[in-house]
Amino acid sequence: MELLIQTVVNGLIQSGFYALAAIGLVLVFGVMRVVNFAHGELVMIGAYTIWFVHAQNGVPYLITVVLAILLVTAIGLLMERFLFRPMTGDPLGGLICSIGMLFILQVIATYVGGEGPSKQVPPPFEGTLIILDSVRIPYQRVFSIAVAICALGILWYFLTRTKFGWAVRAVSMDREAAALQGISTIRVSMIAIGVGAAMAGLAGALMAPLTNINPHMGHNVIIAAFIVTIVGGVGSLPGAVIASVLYALFHTFVTTYFSGTIATISGLVIMVLVLIVRPTGIMGHRVSE
Amino acid sequence: MSKIETNASRRKFLKQVAAGATTATAASIIPSRAFSANKQLTVGMNIPMTGDLAPWGLPGYYGCEIIARNINAAGGVTIGGETYDINIATYDHGYETDKAVQGMKKLVLEDDAKMVMMLGGATVAAVLPWATRRKVLTTTLLPSDITPDSNYLVATCESHPLYNVTGVEWLARNYPDAKTAVIVTNNDVEYGLQSTATYQAAFEVAGIEVVDTNLHGFDVTDFAPIVSSVLDKDPDIFCMATSFYVTPIMEQLYHQGFDGKIISCTLDFYHEIIAKTSVDFVNGTIFQFPDFDDPALADVNFPDPGGFDAAFRADHPNDWSAVAWEYPVILLNWIENAQAAGSVESEAVTAQMTGSEQNFVFGGGSWWGSQLWGLDNVLVGKWPVVVVEDGRARIQEYGDLAAWLDANNDVLIKHMKALGLRTV
Amino acid sequence: MRIRTVFFLSLLYAALIVLPHFLKYHQQDFLIFLTINILVVVSYRLVTLTGEWSLIHAVMMGVGAYTSALISKNFDISFWITLPLAGVMAGLVALLLSYPLFRMTQFYFLIGSFAAGEAIRLTWIQFIKPFGGTGGTSAIPSPELMNIDFLEPIPYFYLVLIVVSICVYLLYRIENSRIGLTLHAVHWKGVLAESVGVNTWNYRTLAFVIGSLFVGIAGALKVHYIGTVAPKQFDIGFMVFILIWVIVGGYRTFYGAIIGAVVLSILDEILRGVEQLRPAIYGATLIFFILYLPGGLESLPQKIRQKFRANRESAT
Repeated sequence: MELLIQTVVNGLIQSGFYALAAIGLVLVFGVMRVVNFAHGELVMIGAYTIWFVHAQNGVPYLITVVLAILLVTAIGLLMERFLFRPMTGDPLGGLICSIGMLFILQVIATYVGGEGPSKQVPPPFEGTLIILDSVRIPYQRVFSIAVAICALGILWYFLTRTKFGWAVRAVSMDREAAALQGISTIRVSMIAIGVGAAMAGLAGALMAPLTNINPHMGHNVIIAAFIVTIVGGVGSLPGAVIASVLYALFHTFVTTYFSGTIATISGLVIMVLVLIVRPTGIMGHRVSE
Repeated sequence: MSKIETNASRRKFLKQVAAGATTATAASIIPSRAFSANKQLTVGMNIPMTGDLAPWGLPGYYGCEIIARNINAAGGVTIGGETYDINIATYDHGYETDKAVQGMKKLVLEDDAKMVMMLGGATVAAVLPWATRRKVLTTTLLPSDITPDSNYLVATCESHPLYNVTGVEWLARNYPDAKTAVIVTNNDVEYGLQSTATYQAAFEVAGIEVVDTNLHGFDVTDFAPIVSSVLDKDPDIFCMATSFYVTPIMEQLYHQGFDGKIISCTLDFYHEIIAKTSVDFVNGTIFQFPDFDDPALADVNFPDPGGFDAAFRADHPNDWSAVAWEYPVILLNWIENAQAAGSVESEAVTAQMTGSEQNFVFGGGSWWGSQLWGLDNVLVGKWPVVVVEDGRARIQEYGDLAAWLDANNDVLIKHMKALGLRTV
Repeated sequence: MRIRTVFFLSLLYAALIVLPHFLKYHQQDFLIFLTINILVVVSYRLVTLTGEWSLIHAVMMGVGAYTSALISKNFDISFWITLPLAGVMAGLVALLLSYPLFRMTQFYFLIGSFAAGEAIRLTWIQFIKPFGGTGGTSAIPSPELMNIDFLEPIPYFYLVLIVVSICVYLLYRIENSRIGLTLHAVHWKGVLAESVGVNTWNYRTLAFVIGSLFVGIAGALKVHYIGTVAPKQFDIGFMVFILIWVIVGGYRTFYGAIIGAVVLSILDEILRGVEQLRPAIYGATLIFFILYLPGGLESLPQKIRQKFRANRESAT
């Protein structure tokens, strides 16, 4: 029983990271029709920023989190301007550019951090929250999940209650129609990738004290984000959040009771099945090609 | 050559290397090689210097560079009447098997390496057919790489994971109330599974029951579920069998409130673990790799351990890992045997090595391995049991690995077979 | 065949037969891998003819490699039998995968093929029996034929040269046959092709299966030389290299991909000293080509010619 509750808690915490990481992928895909393979590397850069600026050079954690978000957002905007914008209308070209970017970001991280063991960041929030005498959550994770929920809440408000959000949604539903309505698709693209990259930077910054930081950590992130994106429905933000929770719980349960690799294999198989049976995912709508 | 003679020449050689250390520091601004008229003697290192396993390759190279610098500063080394300067040639295979084969060929055929040091595992298995045919003396840290016909492959320093039994023995003696254990590690054959079988055998011999064994993949990003799952069995002992993920696992143990004994094969970068948890939590953790500033190392067969430790940390303050001193030990042992054989060629040195008694770095030293892998090419001797005390690694005792193996060989083979590992 | 082509080809082969004798050891190895990689890119080109870029080609190479390695090692069956078996197995796996994968197009196909490939690769890691886990399997026997020593690079290079030449020739004939022309039609005029009775599904599957078959053979060729097979050899990193070779070389003609593989592999060899920087140089090259020279290297002569002509015209 204890293990069951602990596993649910572990799964819910993990879902926060999945959601933050997947949101950016979904936004960029929805608005620009580009699969950003370097998205996992944006998360990695966020984590490296925490390691380098906070753990190595002593800048307070919360300030560094903001710095990580700003830095990753800037990288995202640069990618939009110099890679994705010239490739508009050529999804394969955009994807290949992002693969090129992936390598460049990994090499930058290697140069900043050097080779050797994975980097570690001591948790800024110490101690453990104990519920019901047996379920334990480190405060660092409590903080992470709280921030993740706030960030997703703000994003939801932005997308449903503001004019920008309305434009973003319009473009992801039908790019041409939105353009005909006088919406600047370039500006919307910049907003989408900016917000998406900010979320990725935040995810990296929150994960940094909890995981092994190395230049290749983006690989596992992107696999999870892909699965969540496809299962949730390409282009659907609520779908991505729901799928994050479901997939995180699924993965955590299979890892706890069987094996982590089997959990990932089943995740990939589920994703392929969803692609066959219901390419629109659990919450998605038909994407105009 | 008789053992007494070897001992005498050994001491002389070690002293010479230690003396070189002082000269080297004084003259380190000028590379000694530039003025040396000596011939170059190249030793190869085909190791991971980048990627996930770099921590078990790169620090060893740094260590060997220090040793080579000291030897060259002391005027080089005389083998068979010829005086040589030691040159370390490296190839970074990033722990990829195809690159390891490439590296082996390059080191031997193009750099003219007389001996090649490797980490072990899949990369050694990959180079073995070629290296055996070419009669290249190759060293590994994983004796499980040895096969009945790998005549030129030796494990002269680390006998991974056999020595883990010494830690379990010490634990059982000092904490007789600890009766149940769980094992967590990565599910690769050469590190995780070999080590798991060894710990299972050691626990069985010590009368400790293993209540859960969790072998996970390399794609784990969050260890919370794995740790929750095994802690649910309420164990007295938590064992990490050569895990690559000691830091994140220790962190989870800390947060999930584990208060039993922790035993691990390695505890590399334990200062980082302390930073992520607390000194109190890490204190008492048992593992197998000493720091070289440990006063208990005074009598080992290594030139000036304290000075080596200081030189290493001066050059590379954050890179010390278990292999930092192991490759140097292998290098020194090879040089001695080459001197005894009067030749640097593979066949002569290998014959000298496996045909004579050796002084193991921590004392003792007998050739072993045929019972498990079909060839007595593993040098086993005393091995230290290390425990964290006040945030520092300190040797508790030197366990007698050879005695344990003689007495409990069959138990070990039983557990290795149960995990599907290769035995003869 | 035109006289000029015959002349050019005989010159090329004469050079290739003599070349390895003038090379250092690691360069001979390099030549073997380069020759195998030519088969990899040419077979990939067949898959891309229908306009679908899969991310599973590297894994299909692994399917062939594992098949040949495990059968020859565990059942003591000759390389000469396991080599074609490697191709057959890769083709069969491709056939099975084509049912789910070709229900998707474009990005969905891309992501679907990536997911299917990762699932296969993780299976090699998860099931230590028979695949060997992360470390893979070693001591794969080398080919036996009379008294030739195939552990030595030069004999193995000749073997690879013969096998790859046959395969590339077959692929060339397929591309220029009716099937090949139909594949082009499926790509550029999918709807039109369907309306005149071409079953696009069948043709896409055909291209995928044939491409996988040949890359499976390439995989077997590679692992019987290095003697070891491991999941990491066929990961997304290697897949990206294949993509880069094809894109930088140019995917509009048969020769483009070969040019890409040759030029970039040589660049790679030159970059061996700056190991850490290599991925970034690759990444930058890829971005440069896709942005500024989307036709690849093969389009370069034509571009230069155009430029000259334009200059001359503006001068007059």
